[in-house]
Amino acid sequence: MRAKRWVRYTKGLLKEIGIEPERLEMFNMSSSMATAFAEAVEEMTRRAKELGPSPLKRKKEAA
Amino acid sequence: MEKKGAEEGAEMSYEPKIAAFCCTYCAYSAADLAGSMRLQYPPTVRMVKLLCTGKVEPIHLLKAFEAGADAVFVAG
Amino acid sequence: MIVGQRKPFDEIKSYVDGCQRILVLGCGTCVAVCMAGGEKEVQILASQLRIAFKEEGKDVQVDEETILRQCDREYFDTLKDRVDKYDVVISMACGAGVQLAAELFPHRVVVPALNTTFIGIAEKEGVWSEKCRACSNCLLAETGGICPITICPKGLVNGPCGGTNHGKCEVDKNKDCAWTLIYRRLEGQGRLEKIREIHPPKNYKVQTTPATIWHAAYREEEA
Repeated sequence: MRAKRWVRYTKGLLKEIGIEPERLEMFNMSSSMATAFAEAVEEMTRRAKELGPSPLKRKKEAA
Repeated sequence: MEKKGAEEGAEMSYEPKIAAFCCTYCAYSAADLAGSMRLQYPPTVRMVKLLCTGKVEPIHLLKAFEAGADAVFVAG
Repeated sequence: MIVGQRKPFDEIKSYVDGCQRILVLGCGTCVAVCMAGGEKEVQILASQLRIAFKEEGKDVQVDEETILRQCDREYFDTLKDRVDKYDVVISMACGAGVQLAAELFPHRVVVPALNTTFIGIAEKEGVWSEKCRACSNCLLAETGGICPITICPKGLVNGPCGGTNHGKCEVDKNKDCAWTLIYRRLEGQGRLEKIREIHPPKNYKVQTTPATIWHAAYREEEA
């Protein structure tokens, strides 16, 4: 799938600039999968909390 | 955009910003349905509606990070 | 077309560290088609640079521009007045484009963002393969339209070496033997007798470095 390919590629671009690739993900779902959508949001929120704020912001605060 | 989820616990140190790139026909409808079903999910997500996730380009995802997203996902 | 690949981010960034104003300059021809240095890739590199500098807490201006061709002077005209604003120009063109940019902006540092790899064709979306070594002495008429200079690692012009192995090459087992391909092509055309013709040693003298060529219509005017 096209989107999957570019998401995978962008993970590499993020890695190059020191952003954890786990901050980006691809989820497949159909229109009837409301729970899957909620789970996707929860999963990404969990990851974002685990990794802390984006490195862009961290540096800004430190500066 | 619509339907923000439940209040989060007080234990979180920051409110992460999450960008979601959604296909109009799959994930966006799923999110809509989640709203109708009153499913609760974190209020951290900002949605970008695409006609199809096939249209997503690396630059869109990078721009989301540039704009300050803590996490980004594509759903469709 | 000319095929190139983008350099790793760290290498590109090392060229521009310490600069305040950066122009990322794309080329809209060959390297745009091979998804290495066109408008989209300019946007990606510029975005990566902005994020990386922001992470370091640095305020650096990164602008984007793509011209139709960096191997033609006229397309640089629109940039002439603007380029002085920048400390450095990152050219996303092939080696030829980078050098013309550097020649036209001699007072600015011009650095490459790509490694130029070869003259080739698109095999399928996202895959390219080398087809021509630009040897200045084309013998495709003799070889069924398959170039042994490029495809054969040894560049043999009179049939295969002893290392040909069931259609594969001894240098790289995954690659086809150029002369087996040529044999099959000529066989299919009923022209197998062609393969018996002996070619003189290849004249590498015509492969002058660096070369300049004149289009026949312009040559006499100049003389």
